[in-house]
Amino acid sequence: MRAQTLAAQRCLARGILVLLTLASGALQKSVAKEVDFAREVLPILSNKCFVCHGPDTKKEEDLRLDSYEGATEDRDGLRAIDPDSLEDSELILRIHDGDDPMPPKDAEKQLTSDEREILSRWVREGGNYAKHWSFVTPVRKDPPEDSKTAHPIDRFVKAKLVEKLGEKARLAETSDRATLARRAALTLTGLPPDPTVLASFIGDKTNTAYLRYLETLMESPRYGEHQARYWLDAVRYGDTHGLHLDNKRGIYPYRDWVVRAFNKNLPLDEFIIWQLAGDLLPEATLEQKVATGFVRMNPSTAEGGAIPAEFQCKNNFDRTETIGTVLLGMTMSCARCHTHKYDPITQTEYYQLLAFFNSTAESPMDGNKYEYGPVMKAPADQVAWNEWENLATRNKALLKELETLKAIPIADTDKIQWKALSRRDRLNRVADPKGPFKESSLHPRAAELKALFAESEKRFTSTLIAQELGKPRVTKVLVRGEYNQPTGEPVEPGIPSVMGSLPEGAPRNRLGLAQWLVSPENPLVARVLVNRIWQRVYGDALVRSPEDFGLQGKQPTHPGLLDWLAVELQDSGWDLRHILKLMLTSETFTQQSAHRADILEDPENLYYARGPSYRLDAEVIRDMALWSSGLLDGHMGGEGIKPYQPAGLWKALMHPASNTKNYVTDKGSKAYRRSLYVYWKRTSPHPMMTLFDAPDRESSCVRRSRTNTSLQSLGLLNETQRVEMARKLAERLMTEAGNDTSRMDLLFTLVASRPPRETERKACEQLLEQMRQRYEAAENDALALLSTGEIARNPDLKPAEVAAWTQVSITVLASDVALLLN
Amino acid sequence: MDLHDYQLSMTRRQLFGRSALGLGTAAMAQMLPEELQGAQGKADLNGGIHHRATAKRVIYLFMSGGPSHIDTWDYKPKMREMFGQDLPEHIRDGQRVTGMTAGQKTHPVCPSKYEFTKHPNNEDGLWASELLAQTGKVAKELCVVNSTYTEAINHDPAITFIQTGSQVPGRPSLGAWLSYGLGTMNEDLPGYIVMHAKTSFPEQSLFNRLWGPGFLPAEHQGVLLRSEGDPVLYLSNPKGTSRSDRRAQLNTLAALNRSQHEQSLDPQTLARIKQHEMAFRMQTSVPELMDLTTESDKTFELYGEEARKAGTFAACCLNARRLAERGVRNIQIFHRGWDAHGGLPREHESQCRDIDQACYALITDLKQRGMLDETLVVWGGEFGRTSYCQGGLTKENYGRDHHPRCFTTWMAGGGIKPGITYGKSDDYGYNIAHPDGTPMRPKPTMEKWTPGTMHIHDRNATILHLLGIDHKRLTYRYQGRDFRLTDIDGHVLNDILA
Repeated sequence: MRAQTLAAQRCLARGILVLLTLASGALQKSVAKEVDFAREVLPILSNKCFVCHGPDTKKEEDLRLDSYEGATEDRDGLRAIDPDSLEDSELILRIHDGDDPMPPKDAEKQLTSDEREILSRWVREGGNYAKHWSFVTPVRKDPPEDSKTAHPIDRFVKAKLVEKLGEKARLAETSDRATLARRAALTLTGLPPDPTVLASFIGDKTNTAYLRYLETLMESPRYGEHQARYWLDAVRYGDTHGLHLDNKRGIYPYRDWVVRAFNKNLPLDEFIIWQLAGDLLPEATLEQKVATGFVRMNPSTAEGGAIPAEFQCKNNFDRTETIGTVLLGMTMSCARCHTHKYDPITQTEYYQLLAFFNSTAESPMDGNKYEYGPVMKAPADQVAWNEWENLATRNKALLKELETLKAIPIADTDKIQWKALSRRDRLNRVADPKGPFKESSLHPRAAELKALFAESEKRFTSTLIAQELGKPRVTKVLVRGEYNQPTGEPVEPGIPSVMGSLPEGAPRNRLGLAQWLVSPENPLVARVLVNRIWQRVYGDALVRSPEDFGLQGKQPTHPGLLDWLAVELQDSGWDLRHILKLMLTSETFTQQSAHRADILEDPENLYYARGPSYRLDAEVIRDMALWSSGLLDGHMGGEGIKPYQPAGLWKALMHPASNTKNYVTDKGSKAYRRSLYVYWKRTSPHPMMTLFDAPDRESSCVRRSRTNTSLQSLGLLNETQRVEMARKLAERLMTEAGNDTSRMDLLFTLVASRPPRETERKACEQLLEQMRQRYEAAENDALALLSTGEIARNPDLKPAEVAAWTQVSITVLASDVALLLN
Repeated sequence: MDLHDYQLSMTRRQLFGRSALGLGTAAMAQMLPEELQGAQGKADLNGGIHHRATAKRVIYLFMSGGPSHIDTWDYKPKMREMFGQDLPEHIRDGQRVTGMTAGQKTHPVCPSKYEFTKHPNNEDGLWASELLAQTGKVAKELCVVNSTYTEAINHDPAITFIQTGSQVPGRPSLGAWLSYGLGTMNEDLPGYIVMHAKTSFPEQSLFNRLWGPGFLPAEHQGVLLRSEGDPVLYLSNPKGTSRSDRRAQLNTLAALNRSQHEQSLDPQTLARIKQHEMAFRMQTSVPELMDLTTESDKTFELYGEEARKAGTFAACCLNARRLAERGVRNIQIFHRGWDAHGGLPREHESQCRDIDQACYALITDLKQRGMLDETLVVWGGEFGRTSYCQGGLTKENYGRDHHPRCFTTWMAGGGIKPGITYGKSDDYGYNIAHPDGTPMRPKPTMEKWTPGTMHIHDRNATILHLLGIDHKRLTYRYQGRDFRLTDIDGHVLNDILA
């Protein structure tokens, strides 16, 4: 009865509505182009309607708008979408109903008039549903036709630019070679180009000069260090446990392995498999096991009184949700307590995903131990890694040779066991002077190799790794995510059904999970990765919520391009260098980065009418100054380094029992290594990192903010290491160049890859002159300035002159001349 | 849009952090019309953004470790009769206990050894232990809440919970939310200042996350005002660098950036010139702030001689008043050492000595200067302590374990009803109680809250409310969700608003 009355009332409402719609001319628009459900409608439904009518709808009988079946269901004669009479659909009526509107008047989120318009058009066009874009496996479609443009990225970008900003919109002019050289070097290696390299690139007019330049950069060991940094943010790498005492944790061999993986261009699919499940691979190597440090990266505690069962859960939540952020681009945490309100992930599916991680062997509490087991010994820096790799290669060859020997002196019964042995253990057997191989021709070589291994293993250190328990733990759904409220039957490890299913034959463990993640059917992983690669090349991503590809996330600005790149990544054999090369050779990348007075409609540069330009990250800002001053210590890997830090910073925070309460500054060259290696205490990272938006690494970060604050200014101009770097840079200018002009040229060439503009030169020369006079009049001040930091000044140089150049260097290094990639 | 508008829009965007997110979409919808005011607080709302603020600023005295409510504010005379007897089962009522006392065979009732005095307030008086006799003297200003509760039972999760609304690291702190919502009122000082007071028992760790930005832009993180070295990190010029040297450098720096801007038209570059200039002003405003020689002897009589020693709780309180005078909206002092598992009398006596006079002085001082009305002062820890003894129990010496289910905090000024106590515990100070004293277990839902109780989300909601913020509407979209400080809970406690 009530339903009929309501229906009658709404008929009237509809009459008015049709008039209004006609009057607004909106219908004509709808004729022009059909509403795109996935891009236009679903985000509105998700954001405004699903709270009550979505996957987490409480009661069976409630209306659900997350499927066509739900929306068209007959409910007392009314249908949200009525396929027989679309115009009479309740959805249209209620969203326009002044008396009894949807969303209700008191709802937190209301529809805008544009959104009402889109929903109405969608229903009128049939109210058809489609899967959310990111859950559909990407398919490569050809880039838009463009006879003048060869590069696939540019064809996508140019077409979109015209579509969004009008027929006349064009990419900017190509940058000059110096700008390009600096931009590419900073993008790939996190350092500016060396002046000689710069000069030879600028002088090389051949067609392939730029490509060869890129390849050289990617061959540099600095490349892997720089690329690793982004990954370490994402996986929340830290040198401490993170909670309570925040004690030291032995895991830096993992960090060094990541650097190696990038420097060797390990295919990204293997990169992922090793990290998730290296220990479960057949004949797992040292590297593959070290890579599983990824699984152990969650912050941990051993706080007195903490309840182990609670932390077993918390650790698993953390891992599950980190996989969500880093690889699936999906926020999982909602489903911990209830079925996801927006994304089609049920609470049970959350715990199925969690079950993959619930059977690792470590205790839920870290015991405040550096060796929070399981641990293994691994090379303590890159020198040791190289040495180990060399020996491992020799061992592999030796064992191969062994197999070609006609008579292997092992009994058949022993063969199975032999297969189960690691390569290293097999070598030991061959080298055993009393063992079955003692007569073999390979025995002496094996013995020698064994001794070399033993020698090299002296330079090993402990690192946390993942291991599976013999008997898996039972996983159950937890009511409201409470560790002490398990409910229902045990759940098996599994994949949220909307994302697909485990490949056939894949084991139901971390290895199976990893295989699924990198399978061609996986709709998310390649897109998520390629989106972040784009972000680090162009400054912002194609999906500008790189942590969320779900219904509440941003839509890709260039969906076709994103999918094209995702498939390209897979088809190239997950070749990161190939993708980077592709991106860096696009005009989209090489065009000038200045804001354009002729295109003001796109301040966020969503459509790339200008090239990348952004303030550099904390690490790059420090590394650039270290490098230009000649202080950079190129040593790769090893324990986290401790450059100067204001006294007492840790002590003011830390429990007396913590072994990270005292910060002891490193002596000698160690303090001058790249910022990638700066000791990362999670509860108090180095202030020169956090001042410039570096995350604390307690939780995953796939995009840093880029802020401007006055505290940054203080750090840039006053911090001890910066002053020290500036005065060594000043000495370098004085020893490498003969007069003021050439010194100024060198200064700018180092940090900006170009000589100063006239205004810049004038401003700097004025400062130089002022400082020169001032320090000549007060040499004690000059000596005081030059005594900042541990490194002695060059006594052969005149203090006032060095001091003056120091102040100029500090200033240039703190200005946008140095701070920007552009 | 012309070039000027374009640059302006970019600068506005920068206010919210330039990364694509800026404000969450929901917050955008609510705040965009007055975008600029949104991040600065609105004049006609007395600095609030959603409604009129009664407090312009907050001074938050954080007692890290968990003070014993039973030995300070929650007077439980009946416990004396029960000395040493096992805590009745119906009182414990299934409460989970930490691993530290879970193994204890008995849970003997442990009354406070301290005398309690009734101080006149605006109701029928406030009981305070002799340990906080001075603070008791300002009972007419305090709203003492004896029914605060939380869920976490260990320090790290509990302090992270109360400061960020989540037990797991990663969310923005209360102060960062305020900075994000209200901006700053003083161009020469940071908007959110954190101090660490000295203590004889530097137990429990503190973490950057407690004043960290979480997923908000990093500019909203709390700035440490330190008592050792530079008060603000890297404040002082390098040796051999005078203020006029720095001026000359900044002139050149501005010229370089302006030249850069001519090429790039990037408004961020101009924004950085402004930040360099603010830093330059901070180099005088902060030392001026820290220079207590301008304070009268009377001030030191009020705060005590301790206030002359840098880094003491008293000195931090005096600094807090000076910061408040200078328009800093958001000031937090952390005082560690309240985690008295054993030897509570020795530790708490020392702790209370650190804070008692200073708390009294801060309230009195603000009141005298006419600032208390617009300054919210908040006192409390991450949880309370058990009414049963941990370890050996004698009349003179005992220890107490962590206790989340019921504890005491207070607020004063800034629109809080003065001179009242709110909420009640049972005879053991173990459970929140009905007015008749029988234990109750508040089970708030999104819609309903239990009168007489204050969950820490309620507390945070109330703090935001007083500052003119609707805790449900100050949101930031991250990972597809519009996050807020109070998660999905929190009720403003209208009962304690003036």
